[in-house]
Amino acid sequence: MTKKQTCIFLTVVAAVIAALIVGIVLTDGLYQKEGSIQDAMQDAVLHEGDKISLFGLPVNPGLISAFVVTGVILVFAAIVRIFVIPRFKFVPGKFQMLLEQAVGMFDGLAKSNSPHRNHFLGAYVFAAGAYIFVSTLFELVGVPAVSMAGQSVILPAPLSDINGAISLGCLSYLVILGGGIVSNGLRGVGRTLKEFSLPISMSFRMFGALLSGMLVTELVYYYLALSFVLPVIVGILFTVLHAVIQAYVLTMLTSLFYGEVSELHVKKPKRSRRARGKQEENNKSETEVTV
Amino acid sequence: MPLNIDWQQILLHLLNFVILFAGLWLLLYKPVRSFMQKRREHYEKMDADAEKKNAEAEEKRAAYEQKLAGAEDEIAEKRRLAEKETAEYSERMRRETDELARTIVADARKDAARIKAQATKEARAEIASIVTDAVEKIVLEDTASEAFDQFLDAADDAQAEKKDE
Repeated sequence: MTKKQTCIFLTVVAAVIAALIVGIVLTDGLYQKEGSIQDAMQDAVLHEGDKISLFGLPVNPGLISAFVVTGVILVFAAIVRIFVIPRFKFVPGKFQMLLEQAVGMFDGLAKSNSPHRNHFLGAYVFAAGAYIFVSTLFELVGVPAVSMAGQSVILPAPLSDINGAISLGCLSYLVILGGGIVSNGLRGVGRTLKEFSLPISMSFRMFGALLSGMLVTELVYYYLALSFVLPVIVGILFTVLHAVIQAYVLTMLTSLFYGEVSELHVKKPKRSRRARGKQEENNKSETEVTV
Repeated sequence: MPLNIDWQQILLHLLNFVILFAGLWLLLYKPVRSFMQKRREHYEKMDADAEKKNAEAEEKRAAYEQKLAGAEDEIAEKRRLAEKETAEYSERMRRETDELARTIVADARKDAARIKAQATKEARAEIASIVTDAVEKIVLEDTASEAFDQFLDAADDAQAEKKDE
């Protein structure tokens, strides 16, 4: 490196450092909240202070997020159905391959985990996977809304609302129960009830995972010192990872338990006493020969 | 409820998801899956057709090889048959030629006899005609001049009568 290049390099570094310091000074106090961190956390979990009016009904922002996400997904699906699917080719293009990959992945998941009965399960895990994935990524967009108190609220991920997580967890359990009943009747009910903790574990796993991401993000944004570079990692990376992991975990668990309870019961043939006696004699004689 | 759990909101979330599930199933999952199924069936059919054609080709090849193995015997057999056929053919041709020659000779003889008889008959008729002509010539040579004179006389008489009248 020549002297001139070294000079240019040092000047650039100094300019960047100066700009950052100026930025830090200027932004001091910009992100300071009126309430304490405890209040912010409590609000993020319980949504007591940021209810939104849904036709006069006070609801959590997560429910509004859920409706928005559903609308977005359905509009996207309708556009794809009208403009893309009729032009599908046997040798797929990039977008067709992406769609086929998504459908094929959930269809394959359902088939591999529940070989006996999987048509409905495939559709369910596809919808659930798409919903969890998109609704988690929805957090990144940061759609603003006005709360009933007149404050601005950023719509969170629908599943970071405990009601959303409980509804999806319980619905998955009901789907598993339905699969068990259709395939095995009362035996299926018994098999499903055996896993009575499943709806709670599924609901709270999802709620906890998404909420933790949100809380970490809140925490990071709360303190000025953590507001550089780190939000990119925790905000985007956490969200993307959560989107993929949670979609996979819920669909995988649902498929797994669905397959377990819908597995057809095969009666073991009863052996007669004489046959059993003969078998025992054979075993004895084989043991004696070995000895 | 603890943790702000609200049954009404849970039901609203459920309603939302059920709508999403139905919409996605109708708009995306079912059409894409049925297209994939259709394509799978298409390629499976192609595969089955190719398998079938392969089997047919293999069968034909086996039959051809079998044929090739027995080709020497077949050639010898065919040669023997061809020789036999040639001999039979030449024999038949010889017999036919002899027969034809005999027929031709017989016909020629018949024709010669017929022509000879015809010529004799015609010659006789011609001779008779010549003789008749000669006789007529000799006989009519004197009588013709007399008739001409009588005719001239008669004509003179007729002219005279006319003048008198």
